[in-house]
Amino acid sequence: MSDWVRIADASEIADDEPFASEWNGEAIALYRHEGEIFAIGDICTHEHVRLSDGWFEGDRIECPLHQSCFEIRTGKVIEGGPASEDVASYQVKVEDGAVFVKRGI
Amino acid sequence: MSDTTLRNATDRVWPEDGVTRVPAWIYSDPEIYAKELKVFHYGKTWNFVGLDCEVPEPNSFKRSWVGERPVIITRDAEGEIHVVENRCAHRGSLLCWKNRGQAKDITCPYHHWTYNLSGDLMGLPFLRGVQGKGGMPRDFDKSKNGLTKLRVAVRGGTIWATYSDEVAPLEEYLGPEILMRLDRLVSRRPLRLLGYSRQIVESNWKLYWENSRDPYHATLMHPFLSTFGILRTDGDYHSVPLQEGRHEYTYSQYDPELKNKTSEASKQIKSIRSDLEVKDKEVVSSVVDEFKDGMMGAFQVFPTILVQQYFNCLVVRHVIPKGAGAHELSWTYFGYADDDETINRLRLKQSNLVGPAGFVSLEDSEVLSLMQPVVESCPDSVQVLEMGGHGTEAQSTMMTETLIRAFYDFYRREMGL
Repeated sequence: MSDWVRIADASEIADDEPFASEWNGEAIALYRHEGEIFAIGDICTHEHVRLSDGWFEGDRIECPLHQSCFEIRTGKVIEGGPASEDVASYQVKVEDGAVFVKRGI
Repeated sequence: MSDTTLRNATDRVWPEDGVTRVPAWIYSDPEIYAKELKVFHYGKTWNFVGLDCEVPEPNSFKRSWVGERPVIITRDAEGEIHVVENRCAHRGSLLCWKNRGQAKDITCPYHHWTYNLSGDLMGLPFLRGVQGKGGMPRDFDKSKNGLTKLRVAVRGGTIWATYSDEVAPLEEYLGPEILMRLDRLVSRRPLRLLGYSRQIVESNWKLYWENSRDPYHATLMHPFLSTFGILRTDGDYHSVPLQEGRHEYTYSQYDPELKNKTSEASKQIKSIRSDLEVKDKEVVSSVVDEFKDGMMGAFQVFPTILVQQYFNCLVVRHVIPKGAGAHELSWTYFGYADDDETINRLRLKQSNLVGPAGFVSLEDSEVLSLMQPVVESCPDSVQVLEMGGHGTEAQSTMMTETLIRAFYDFYRREMGL
């Protein structure tokens, strides 16, 4: 994914509610936080489960299985849970109500 | 109903003749057995659990047992060794099913609670429920719901665990004589794991415990020993009880000429067949005196292991109780990380002497398994231990039961019998 990819409509993404999406087999979750939209990889690096089924609070998503936490801005894992690797991070832009993402920050 | 079935452990009375008599009810009474586990394995003792070469690198684990309780030995990412109960803190299910391996954390197969390698609860599925429903109460504290952790000690390549906060440090518990013998085998060079054999012996664990304190039976029941000159009644042999019977060691100086010597004693032993030969002499004759002391021997560390050196075969026999009428015998064979091919091959070959089908040790489990139903059928019968007199002192002969008497001297004090 080296180019921008259209992945959702901005209107689908509610405040403080994870939005699970996918592009070409890649699970991606979108988060709206303090008016801004963020995108990170949606499969926990500890066990195979969608993070977007977890607990979204502040600027972090907590895995529903074992409470590993990831920063929604960067995909970085927060120490304290069983996961030790980050999830992917994506750049996000919104154009004409459409959300586009691109690998990297 | 006989008197026996009406009694309970607290009413049991040891025979008047003291340690020269052993009452058969100690091998089958469930209350005695339960008290042994409480006082010994879960009490103020150090239990052997494994060798450090079984958890060789960070993020590795090995299953073991303390008494009847399954435990896991782990080496965490920092290299530190832990021993935790193999029992999920949630519902008590068996957490780790694999004998040995690599893992960064341990997840229970039942509800997927996940623990790190030091036993702390890292996470549990649906802590916060699903779609706002269910889940744990807000005051559920993960830090208070980890695995039960045991106190751990490491000496050379051996790993030990205890439930007791009061038991003395391991070195003191072992004492200088055992420490010297243990260090001789496990502390001078890093260990290499050679393999295992495991067997269930259908007898009370103490029948096996006594068996390895019983040189009297060795040349009689194990004809291989005298026939091929490994051990003979007329050879040099020492039985030494320690700490008033708690531990013991035995040793003999290896004599390569023993096989060819005849004496009055050797003629008396019918089991010596001078017409028999071992075709592969490496099993009994090719010995590298690697400790430069010509010694062969064994020692017991109460209540879990017998450590034995047969020529170049080094083995830990781990006795794991499985109810009053059974125990598991887990044999762990080891050598040293820097062993060359020659000695490595010798160790493997000589390991044929011991184990469930060993040339020497084969008979023990057979005899003890047939003995268990007999002692169970006559709980009020008493056994005789007068070989070598009535005392519990060290003796330099194989014709003695002093080590068993010393054990029961210790046992009675600890058990209040």
